[in-house]
Amino acid sequence: MRRIAYVLGAAWQGFWRNPVMSIAATLTVSLMLLLFAFFIVTDRGLQAAVTALESKVELVLYLDDGAKPSDILALKARIENDPAVSRVDYITKQQALDRLRELAQRKEDFTLADIGINPLPASLEIKLANAQDTGRLAASLKDELGRGVVTDVIDNPTVVEKLLTITRVLSIGGVAVLAMMLFVALFVIVNTIRIAVHARRDEIEIMQLVGATDWFVSWPFILEGILVGTFGAIVALAVLALASGPVTSAMVGFLDILPVSLGANFVLELAAGVLAFAVLVGGFGASFSVRSQLAKGAHA
Amino acid sequence: MIRLEDVSKRYPNGTAALQDVDLTIDQGEFAFLVGSSGAGKSTLIRLLIRDELPTTGRVIVDDKDVAILRRSQIPHLRRLVGVVFQDFKLLPTKTVTENIAFALLVTGHEGHVVREETERTLALVGLSHRRGHFPRELSGGEQQRVAIARALVNRPRVLIADEPTGNLDPVTSWEIIKLLTRVQELGTTLVMATHNAEIVNALRRRVIHLDHGAVVRDEREGLYAA
Repeated sequence: MRRIAYVLGAAWQGFWRNPVMSIAATLTVSLMLLLFAFFIVTDRGLQAAVTALESKVELVLYLDDGAKPSDILALKARIENDPAVSRVDYITKQQALDRLRELAQRKEDFTLADIGINPLPASLEIKLANAQDTGRLAASLKDELGRGVVTDVIDNPTVVEKLLTITRVLSIGGVAVLAMMLFVALFVIVNTIRIAVHARRDEIEIMQLVGATDWFVSWPFILEGILVGTFGAIVALAVLALASGPVTSAMVGFLDILPVSLGANFVLELAAGVLAFAVLVGGFGASFSVRSQLAKGAHA
Repeated sequence: MIRLEDVSKRYPNGTAALQDVDLTIDQGEFAFLVGSSGAGKSTLIRLLIRDELPTTGRVIVDDKDVAILRRSQIPHLRRLVGVVFQDFKLLPTKTVTENIAFALLVTGHEGHVVREETERTLALVGLSHRRGHFPRELSGGEQQRVAIARALVNRPRVLIADEPTGNLDPVTSWEIIKLLTRVQELGTTLVMATHNAEIVNALRRRVIHLDHGAVVRDEREGLYAA
């Protein structure tokens, strides 16, 4: 207990001994963590959007009202044989109209006038095992146009492709930015602790002289680094908490049509992730600079 | 207690600080290290606390070869061997009590042990009445007493003093020597490097004379100069 109390006290004193430097380091860590959190939130949101879109219909074939049921079934069977296809649904004219009515009920700004005849065509809705195969399949199905069965091939899932591209770019860009921020944060922490170690070199010399273990010499500094990380995380999480309301509503507004949910535990997971990341960066940065300083001091 | 077997120390810049030194100092003994500056006294002291490693030969303290100690064992050697320097090396922002207690705190002692041992050592060096003062408020002799107290508070078996009176006037020097003699009489092995001929000649203790890194004289009740 005595040891822990000593180390905690020394770390706390160390943090406030050079407040400007400590606060600068803390804010740098906060900035990095905010980027980290922003990156995770965006990534999670886009992934949820992609999943939602992928589970929707990916290719739609509108069918001629006069097409023979046997021809339609034959076409359906042929499409189902394609290995990239996971499922094909036959939607009749009546089912299409029912869906439209249902949608009209949910949307206030959408009213359906009473209509005598059903203008909607029957269709085949094709779900793919992999969204990336959409393009190829759509091209091959375009050959069916004009043979009396298929009137149109709707390739609406280009949205999915675009989203996939955005996610990919964001992942790579995000990782690159994050790596740079991590480097900067580590650099600042290493330097802060190095200055702290330098300022206390007499104390360290005496500690080593009277037989303090490396543990005793280095842990106050490592803890000081962890303190910088923790304070950084608290600042970042506070900013996130303040910003989360407007940001969430903006995102929900943007992804209006999609049943996107980030999960109930997402906020907790994010906070825990940010904190753990900060503690790791702080502790690792500090132990790196203490180790390099100790190696200089003692002949071991 | 201390044994040097065929010890040589050559620094990377080529300086031969010690050459073929063989030496044994028994538990409880009082030994002066004399010789001109650069004769190798400080190097010898550094070897004893493993601040330096011998180039060849073995340095044995308390039956352990210090050269093969693992890094994690060095602190135990340092607790066994207390050191006092010419420039005291006190922490200016800590009081007398805090400077002494520091050695116990950073070696992980419990609060009551820290208090009791600090009190005992303060009394031993005669500074109980100065406990709350900062080093800058003390005389040189008092500062050296604090340094001695800090070296002794962990109850080391060996006390090494590197020119402990080098910065002190003659009267104060004698007070420090009396204190060190008392410490030795209580059972601590004492090794003292010094240039103070008057003290060496008055005490008539063992004298180990180094010259250019070699032991040129080792007498039981020696004088500063042969």
